[in-house]
Amino acid sequence: MTPLRDQIVNFVAALRAAGIRISVSESIDAARAVGAAGLERASMCEALAAALVKDEGDRAVFDQTFAQFFSAPASGNARGQHPDHRGRLESAASGRGRPGEEPSGVAKPRERRQESRAAAKSAQQEREERPADRQARRTPAKAGERGAPAAQSDEHSGEMRQAENRGPEEHGIEAGRVARSRAIERTPFAAYTDLEFVQARDTLAILKRRFRVRLGRRLRIAKAGRIDFRRTIRAATQRGGALADLRFRARRPRRIDLTILADVSGSVRYAAELMLELVAGARENFHRVRSFVYIDRLAEADFEGGHLVTAPALDLYARSDFGRVLGELWDRRAQVLGRQTIVVILGDGRNNRRPARADLLREIARNCRAVVWLNPEDPARWGTGDSAIEKYAREVRAHVAVRDLRELERGLLAIA
Amino acid sequence: MEITQEFVADGLARAHYITNQRVETAVFLALALDKPLLIEGPAGAGKTEIAKVIAAMLAAELVRLQCYEGLDEARALYEWNYQKQLLRLQADQAQGVRWEDLSEHIFSREYLLERPLLKAITAPRRVVLLIDEIDKADEEFEAFLLELLSDFQVSVPELGTLRAHELPVVVLTSNRARELSEALRRRCLHLFIDLPGIEQERKIIALKVPGLDERLAAEAARFVSAVRKLELRKPPSIAETLDWCRALLRLGTRELDTVAIRTALGVLLKHEDDRAKVESKAAALAPRRP
Repeated sequence: MTPLRDQIVNFVAALRAAGIRISVSESIDAARAVGAAGLERASMCEALAAALVKDEGDRAVFDQTFAQFFSAPASGNARGQHPDHRGRLESAASGRGRPGEEPSGVAKPRERRQESRAAAKSAQQEREERPADRQARRTPAKAGERGAPAAQSDEHSGEMRQAENRGPEEHGIEAGRVARSRAIERTPFAAYTDLEFVQARDTLAILKRRFRVRLGRRLRIAKAGRIDFRRTIRAATQRGGALADLRFRARRPRRIDLTILADVSGSVRYAAELMLELVAGARENFHRVRSFVYIDRLAEADFEGGHLVTAPALDLYARSDFGRVLGELWDRRAQVLGRQTIVVILGDGRNNRRPARADLLREIARNCRAVVWLNPEDPARWGTGDSAIEKYAREVRAHVAVRDLRELERGLLAIA
Repeated sequence: MEITQEFVADGLARAHYITNQRVETAVFLALALDKPLLIEGPAGAGKTEIAKVIAAMLAAELVRLQCYEGLDEARALYEWNYQKQLLRLQADQAQGVRWEDLSEHIFSREYLLERPLLKAITAPRRVVLLIDEIDKADEEFEAFLLELLSDFQVSVPELGTLRAHELPVVVLTSNRARELSEALRRRCLHLFIDLPGIEQERKIIALKVPGLDERLAAEAARFVSAVRKLELRKPPSIAETLDWCRALLRLGTRELDTVAIRTALGVLLKHEDDRAKVESKAAALAPRRP
């Protein structure tokens, strides 16, 4: 292998270790791209980026890795910020801080290569050291790693702008926004603080539109239904009786009534609020939407000017009692349950060892089209301690884990 | 004609497309490696424009496929001209033509309605194929595009496989209405175009709104850049900036003070909330003159 090809292969390995997914064909493209674009630093950087980075959210990581690998001869700028970056990057990738050692001065190519290989290896080791954590997340490796930096997402985006090794006139406003919203989409609700919640609300604006479109597409089955014989014959008279144009009878639109129950206790409350807002944005896809929130009792919820309003007001310090909530729902069944109703419940099913009343849930499921349970809790913890989720899960059509925004969107799409 | 980086940089400049190294390199590679180029970025950053510029640069025809929800192969690739086939059948009925001859006849290219994708593949000369807003199309359609993008060939059951004589230059654009599949991303080179920085935008304004006073253009660019940094529902795009500058020109604005900002703000911002937000900060955002 030529040294350059070798170096590209190692570079790709380092990017993979940093969490960017790169296929073999893409690394071949990268080699061809460098071959075509030449070795001038800036154009080589862009060539590699065009071939390897398919997601703007990954660009910052790419730029850092590139700076480590192909150091600029004397442009102190990128190198000056470099140790800091690397430390952050690694702490982000591994979830704990570790100061990055910086090769001093301009290392010889060979040394540099070994160093970066070592860096890649140690990053990999660190990742392997933490199987428990990874399993707990049980999301694809890429998603998990990208999710982690979200905690420092704000600094991160600022950093990203610096890291972009480009002319002074460029700011990358939108790029930073993309990276931020991507990170927050993958941050587990369990790790939310108010800061993440605010960021998630920002991201939700985009997500809402996407969700509405996706849901609409799912609900709208084939536009055309059965053949409309009368109209087909009429159209055929224009063509001398040949049935050239088939006319279809439009289908009756599916009408779904949605009844939502969202647990607003403890850490589940972030997920609940985000879900209610997401569904509120897609309201027009449903015939009727009734939203409720609960802790130990049921309260009708509504969005007024972007804020969640409940009536009657809930006692936020109460202890969860879903059995009682089911009872209250059952009492109101005439208004909120029907053959076209899908009931969506968001909660962790932790009932403080009070009566679960799963029998009521079975009755409710029997009286509506379907019950779907979205659970923001980690599946590893389902059914532990005071969780009654296993009793409930038996009675519902689907029981889905929704640990972050992405999963929440996916879970909600499952109702259609 | 040989494709070099200078040729691309030169071509972009000649087409009045103000750009940077990133765009140049990506466009150059797409041409040099014959790979599709996937362009992402906010609305109004000039994604579609790149395809047009490439077409102008190569003096090639631009074939455009606008994607939308529910777009299917019949609309994108080809369709048999059913009515024409029927007419042919009826016309031939009287003459007692044998079925073998007939079927050969009515399933020939003459009865095929070419849609953009087939047109791009069967074109005798190299064309630029723009698949616009691929994120609006359904996932199934995206999967169908994969064969096309990797081999530039299409199979029509009655005619066999049609292969491109000249590989078209393919440009895909996406607004991220949904996440594109990994498979599609893998097959493309990727380019992210962001909204321009102050200096770049000033150049664009100077180029596209030539009548505007230079100092005012610089102030406008700085103002728009500051506006974009506010958390807005829809940050102004380049097209909106240009419209706004044209409005300033027509209004005879000499100085970008709070009054001037308030007057024409509707051209720049299309949401009432955004407008209120910027108006409330107009004094702070207005450039200070000595």
